[in-house]
Parts: sequence; C-alpha cells; structure tokens
Amino acid sequence: MKRSRAASVAAVAIGALFIAGCSAAADDSGSAEGTLQFLGTDDPATYAPVIDAFEASHPDITVEYTQVPFDQYSSTLQQRLGAGDDTIDVYGVDQPNLSQLAAQGFLEDLSDLEGEAKAATSEGQYEINLYDGKMWALSVWNSTQLMFYNRDALTAAGIESPTADPEARWTWEQIEEAGRAAQASGTQYGLVLEQIEAYYQLQPLAESLGGGSGIVGDEMLTADITNDAWIQAMDWYGETFASGLSPRGVGGFQTAPIFSDGDAAFFVGGPWDVGRMAADADFDWGIAPMPYFEGGDAVTPTGSWSWGINTASKNKDAAREFLEFAAFDAAGALSTAEATTIIPANTDAEAEYLPGLEELGGDRAAGVADLISFEVENTAVSRPTSVGYVQFEAEMNKAFADIRNGADAAERLEQAASQIEAAWDKL
Amino acid sequence: MTSRLSSGTGVAARTGTAARRPRRRSSPLLIALAFLAPALIALLVLRIAPAAVALWQSMFQSGLLSGDRFVGLSNYIDLFASPDFQGALGVTLLFTVLINPIQVAVSFLLAVLYTKRLAGAKIWRSLVILPIAVPPAVSAVMWSVIYRPDGLANAFLDLFGIPPQPFLTSPQQALVSIMVLLSWIGVGYWMMFLIAGINDVPRSYYEAASLDGASSWRQLWSITFPLVRRPLAFVLVADTVSNLLVFAPVQILTKGGPEGSTNLLMYDIFTRAYTLGDLNTAQAEVVILVLVTVLIVGVQFRLLKAED
Repeated sequence: MKRSRAASVAAVAIGALFIAGCSAAADDSGSAEGTLQFLGTDDPATYAPVIDAFEASHPDITVEYTQVPFDQYSSTLQQRLGAGDDTIDVYGVDQPNLSQLAAQGFLEDLSDLEGEAKAATSEGQYEINLYDGKMWALSVWNSTQLMFYNRDALTAAGIESPTADPEARWTWEQIEEAGRAAQASGTQYGLVLEQIEAYYQLQPLAESLGGGSGIVGDEMLTADITNDAWIQAMDWYGETFASGLSPRGVGGFQTAPIFSDGDAAFFVGGPWDVGRMAADADFDWGIAPMPYFEGGDAVTPTGSWSWGINTASKNKDAAREFLEFAAFDAAGALSTAEATTIIPANTDAEAEYLPGLEELGGDRAAGVADLISFEVENTAVSRPTSVGYVQFEAEMNKAFADIRNGADAAERLEQAASQIEAAWDKL
Repeated sequence: MTSRLSSGTGVAARTGTAARRPRRRSSPLLIALAFLAPALIALLVLRIAPAAVALWQSMFQSGLLSGDRFVGLSNYIDLFASPDFQGALGVTLLFTVLINPIQVAVSFLLAVLYTKRLAGAKIWRSLVILPIAVPPAVSAVMWSVIYRPDGLANAFLDLFGIPPQPFLTSPQQALVSIMVLLSWIGVGYWMMFLIAGINDVPRSYYEAASLDGASSWRQLWSITFPLVRRPLAFVLVADTVSNLLVFAPVQILTKGGPEGSTNLLMYDIFTRAYTLGDLNTAQAEVVILVLVTVLIVGVQFRLLKAED
C-alpha cells in the first residue's frame, strides 16, 4: 500500500514538473521581481513544490513561506495586517473569513481578474471570493465530502452496499436503518462524521431540508437557524447520538480511526481520507456520495483556501504573478496539491489530479474521481459569505456540541441565535 | 499587590524626609532605589501598565463596522446582562466553593498520612507528587482518553458493576470530572507545603501528648492542625487563586460545554477575546475576574486573621 501511494505521488509530481516545464517557456512575460513573503497555516513542505515551480518559471522572484498554526492564524492576521505590516505580501484566506478581511481593508481588490477567475474554476469557487460586488482573492484549493462504508459490516448485516453513482445516492434515513442493522450484527457504531461538531459538515443537513445556511438578510447579519428545517435537521442529528448510532465524547478529527479500525458502518469524511483508509483499513470498504434527507436536496460541503494580497504589500506585481500561477496556471495549481491530499480549485488541474487520487485509494476507491467532479459541479453549497461568519461559526459549533450531548435542538438553536445576534451587535 | 507597593513607597518616603537633614544619608536612598529599580520597572511594565490598559480599553468598543468609540461602562452592563457571562460567573463561583475546600482537605490528610512512619510512605508520597511533572495540557489529553465513553474510567467502574457514565458529555458530571482531574494534578503539589509545615512541628509536643494519653485524633486536631495554620493559609489562598485561573483543561476537554456547565470565567474571556473577536468586552471581563479574585482572597485573609 505504502509503495503504491509513493508511486502515485511521484507520478503526479513528474506530471506536474512536465507541465510546469512547458508553461515556463510559454509565460515568462512578467517583469516583476524581488522577494515575496507568503503566510499560511500548512507545513512548509506542502508549499515547497508550488514555490519551486514558480521560482523556476519566474527566476527574478523568490518566495519565502512562513507557517502560522491554524489556531493562531486568524488572530495573527488581525494583529499584523491591522498594524499595516508590509512584510506579508500574499496570504492564505480561509474562505468564510474573506468578507471580514475585505471589509477591514486587508485584501487587495482583484476585480480586474474576474474573467480569468471565472474561467479557471467552478462557479461556487469563483463566487466565494466576491464581497460587496468585488473580487478579493483567488481560489487555490477546494474540498468536498464523501461517504465511506464498511462493506464487511454491511454484508454481515445482510445489506447490499451503496455505489459511487450520484444518481443512486442514499438518504440519511437509509443510512440510519442500515447503520442500526450493522450495529445489531456486531459493529459498534452505525454512523460517524469526521468533523462531528463542525458547521462545515453539518450545514448540508439543514440545507438538504431547505433550511438555508443560517445567515440571511441584505447585509448577511441576520441569524435564521430556528426555522423548521434547521430544527428538524438538528433533532435528527441529536437523536443519532442519543440512540447510540453515533458516539459521544470523541472530538472532531479524532473520529477517522473509529472507521479505519472497523468499528463503524458509515463514515463521512474528506478526499484526504481516501489515502488514509487505503493505508489503515484492513477490511473491505468503499466510497459513496454524501447522503441527503428523503424528499430534500442533495447538498455537499465545499470550500477551502483562497490566496489574497495584502493591501500594504510593496511588491504587488510579483504577488499577482504568484497568485495567478497558483490559481490560473494548471501546472501551478497542480503543484499546490502535490505534497498534500487536497483538490486544486483550478478545473483543469482538478481533472489532472483526481485520477491520481483514485489510484491512491486503490480498487476500493473506484469511481471517486468522477464522484468528486460531480459533487463540486452540482451539489456543492458554500458556507455563507458574511462579515459576521467567524462569530456565527463559533456559536454554532458550541450549539452542535450541546445538541450532540443531549440538549433540546429547538431550545439550543434559539439560544445560539441570541448569542450570535449579541456577538454581531458588537461588530 | 497594591498593598505591597504602597507600603514600599511609604518606607521610601519616610526615609526621604528623615534623610533631609544629614545630607550624606540621601545617597543610601538612591542606592536602594537603584537596587529596587529592576523589580519596580518589571512590576510597572509587566503588571501595573497592562492592568491599567485593560481597565482603560474596557471602556471602549472597537467594532469592525462601527469603528472605535468610548462607551463608558456599557461593556460591563452588557456583560451582566449576558446569559453567557451570568452562567460563567455562576459556574466559576460554584467551582471555587467546591474545589478549594476539597483540595485543601485532601492535601492535608495526605500530608498527615505521609508524615507518619509507615512502610513505603516516601514512595507513596512521590507517586502522589508525580502528576505535577506532567504539563497541564498533557494531563488534560490523558484524561480525555480516560473519560471517553469507551475509556479507562468506565472500564474501571464496570469492575464494580457500575453502569457506564457520560462524564464530560453530561452537564451534570462535566464540572466534577474536571475537578477530579485538577485535583489529581494539584493535591500532590499543595501536600508538599503541608508536609514541610508538619515536619516543623516539634516531636516533643506529640510525645508529651502521648504521655498524657491523648488519642491520635486528639493530637491531629489539637497539635498538628493549629501548628500548620500558616502553611494551610498559604495553601488555601494560593490554591484559590490558581483555581480561579483554570483554563487549559476546559479548552482541551469541554470547550466550556455541555450547555455552559464548565464555562469558567477564564475560558469565557478567551472565547470572547479570540473567538468572537470582542477584545474590549473581554478586557472588562478580565477586570471583573480580578475583582472577584481580590474579593475572595480578601475574605479568606479576614477569616484567617479573625481566628488568630
């Protein structure tokens, strides 16, 4: 398993270098030069390939990357950008935070690139960078969610496994029934969500029932989380824990081992789990589309990181070249995903990348490339664009945790709504 | 802090007036000041200035959309009107009232036990102290595994036929679970001070009491307890302050939940400042926490003094 993973990473890398080589000859038109300071949350190894490829095609520009841990990223940006720090040229923008950063004047207006941006990526990933009628960043990565199932557990319960075909997408009701049957025949849990208490993964539950993102209004500063669809979705969510279908007391991102150890029938996770399951799970598993509620819409999470330019930067021309390389140039975009399992937002790079991801997962991940393309194109719903998103998400995640532990969904959502409004009053 | 500072300046002022007539004496004052300068500057820069800044900024509001403006006490009024803050204050007071007497009592009893000449007392003593060597964040992660539904704690309860408990996922049990974990860390530490105190009690008192036929209980209450009052007072005050500032286990284990049942003031301040981005109100909350701490410690000093 390890070897095939290494081989496919190498194959993708060679491919990227090849395309990078071709494009280097074609577009070395920029006259920009100097050193760019680039700030992000990932390990430096993640960005080494894109920086190397960019420097090879733009010999006059060097890029220096600084990592800030995710937990401190937002506050570090606030402090440094707020102080007019010109030693940051390009920085990673967590997409839901874009409006806030743009409203604060920390992002350079990139509206002149709208045409190219629209052509380079999906509709959703283009729109996520818009705020107040202008475009403020370029999408570099994208994400989606997939449902992993334990075929051995389902077979033991006499259930035929789902397929990767989006047309044959299962409903949450079916998942619940099959999960309970698997539990009855000896599997510990029926269903586990990877980000078990996080808005990113739970927004689709309410969206599937037509409840919306939870933020409405012209200014996107009105909470709408107490409608019937939100309450119904959260009642269902709470019940999965109350009934023991899903485990309490295990934190987000600590849940994947439950599935890879064979203790859960279904697991909803990201493309980054494909390689992990291929390496860790020694039972028969497969991938299917993320479920929806019966009678509702198929909705999947999406979004990841965009890159933007600091308004205080003294090297904006070079910064633009770097951004365009990572977002518009297929080879450049592909090199951003070379050292990590994440989907490039660039459509051409995505098409190039996904077969490699499918190969990484082996036979069990068959169909995952087409499935991801389908979801990104058809079912992806972004997190809401609001200057108050940060406060909204924080209060929502607390509410999810409480509902998971047994709080009444309707009452807790009511409470969250007033907490959110109180936090927004201070904006 | 303030009392120490004002008595310091008081002494300096008195020396100053006394020194006016014989001119030579003014130089010792300058020398003393020079020696004190590093400490005084550190006190000013690291303690007093930040406190003053917090107090000042707690009267402003700087919003993303509304800009900076002076709002007087309105942050404080908002806080006292906020159900989250009311909850946090209530939880913190309940936590303080429960955990401090328990920790001090257990530390005292352990200290008495481990100063007896028992087989292996020193080894047991070392084992009790050992958790101090583990950083709080690491102990919190360890206990998160212990408290998991399928974790060690439930396996242990199962040995006695007790059904599995929800621990951190239950609003009724989460705060107690955090108290157990904090006591596991803290009791050994406070015990050390009390052991030092007990070892200072002259053996002859016990010998005399034994000759008079006093029981062990009588000796404990009439000799040991009164004679370790000073270290006990220190332990009580220091323990209270450290428990009012608990943060890491809450952040790692419960994030203030379920349903705000472990939302201690320190954690509420953190979320207000760095998650909700409302620094000014968070600073108002810091000021309130300091006042609550000063108040509680003041009451403790008064009670301890009254009995002297």
